Amino acid sequence: MTAACAQLKDAQHMIYLDNAATTYPKPPHLLAQMAALYGRIGASPGRGSHDMAALAEEYIRQARVKLAAFFGAPDPARVIFTANATDSLNLAIQGLVQPGDHVIATRLEHNSVLRPLYHLQREKQITFTLVPFDGHGVVDPQAIAAAFLPRTRLVIVNHISNVLGTVQPVEEVGEICAAHGIDFLVDGSQSAGQIAVDMGAIKASAVAFTGHKSLYGPSGIGGLVLHPDLYIRPTRFGGTGIDSRDRMHTDYFPYRLEAGTPNLLGIIGLSLSLDYLLSHGIEQQHSRQMALMERLASGLLEINGIKRYSPGGASRNSAMLTVNIDGMASQDVAAILDGDFDIAVRAGLHCAPLVHEDLGTSERGAVRFSIGQFNTEAEINRTIAAMAMIAKQHS
Amino acid sequence: MSRFDQGRDRQLRWIAGRQIYLDWENFLWDSDDWSEAVALALARESGLETLSPTHWAVIHFLRDFYSYHGRAPMNKEIKQGTGLNLMELERLFPQGIKAGAKRLAGLPNPKACL
Repeated sequence: MTAACAQLKDAQHMIYLDNAATTYPKPPHLLAQMAALYGRIGASPGRGSHDMAALAEEYIRQARVKLAAFFGAPDPARVIFTANATDSLNLAIQGLVQPGDHVIATRLEHNSVLRPLYHLQREKQITFTLVPFDGHGVVDPQAIAAAFLPRTRLVIVNHISNVLGTVQPVEEVGEICAAHGIDFLVDGSQSAGQIAVDMGAIKASAVAFTGHKSLYGPSGIGGLVLHPDLYIRPTRFGGTGIDSRDRMHTDYFPYRLEAGTPNLLGIIGLSLSLDYLLSHGIEQQHSRQMALMERLASGLLEINGIKRYSPGGASRNSAMLTVNIDGMASQDVAAILDGDFDIAVRAGLHCAPLVHEDLGTSERGAVRFSIGQFNTEAEINRTIAAMAMIAKQHS
Repeated sequence: MSRFDQGRDRQLRWIAGRQIYLDWENFLWDSDDWSEAVALALARESGLETLSPTHWAVIHFLRDFYSYHGRAPMNKEIKQGTGLNLMELERLFPQGIKAGAKRLAGLPNPKACL
């Protein structure tokens, strides 16, 4: 962590452990660089007859090239910018399924997958099967294969659970889907920027990601990365800056799935944050965060009355830990951590209700700690001490 | 049927001699139905036979804040307004801060996260 960030955090006296919701702070100078560049090229990309518009469009094109390389995707034109991962997942699901299709997902999924599926089922468009996770918080790829039906069109898997922090076996799932000719959509909301997400390696047909979590970009920007062979219908139509005479929306990628003025400021921020991440090494950062997570986990487990839900075992985990204190509402624990100790966490159901249903925490939720690049060992130690105090006071 | 599939309905109950709507977690459906008698009745249900001056001070702070600002106080505002830290507040009400203090004060059930 840079000296500037350390000073900033000391000044604010806040320990931020809600990086799975959004990362904070952003890398040093990112926001200023973002604003400065936007100030120089902030025209409507590809929609003006002047160099600044062309510059803006070229910047976006280069951002697509950068993201394609980052995700191991063969075609930059298949990198589609969206508002966030929820937007990406909706775009993918609604653009891929047809009436009568069957979809397979898991009980680890976020509402950004569950709600589109429940909506389409209620509209009698699709049926779906949700595959359970085991005691280690991991889905069995063979259980997904066993759920295939003649009309199975799509498999969706959350790469890293936003409640348990467990990494799912997407490589095996991808192999199974490829062998059966079934499209495979990976929700990379928590994984992109934390661990490698290589479309080729996991045989994904599409990867949804968001810019503001472990990619350390601003909120309001995300993306959907597509395999060139994936046929996907557009679900939004409008101005693209090309083929304006045509009454029908263009078939050319990426515009086929984009309409309206792009979020240039967000794309600039995402591109700059990607540069930052790659220059600092994603693997090294992840290792550092995992060490902090292990320190937090071992510290909390020494406290009487703490129940851990995130299974142990670093090989299948991310820098996230979910717990409860016996007899306390999770939201009260979070309120005390915030109000009395300046520690920011997230309590509740984390928009993943079925995980909590299976954990038995539907009524009270749970407290999630999610570590980021700028957390320190001192902060983790203070957090452990705070939780010990809260648990002791309550017991 | 999972909780995810169920709707969340209000329930009509007798509280302090009146029929009042409460939600699925026994929060007042309409904050205007609150009275000290209702607060005392809800407190007795949660195991508090009486409400001390400290209880009432917290409850009235929460109600006054909500009435003035149109929202519940944030964590640090609660500390400043009550003079209690949140650990003390959580211990003061058998059901804690949200289901204890805020519910007895008749604040709306916060929709965030649950």
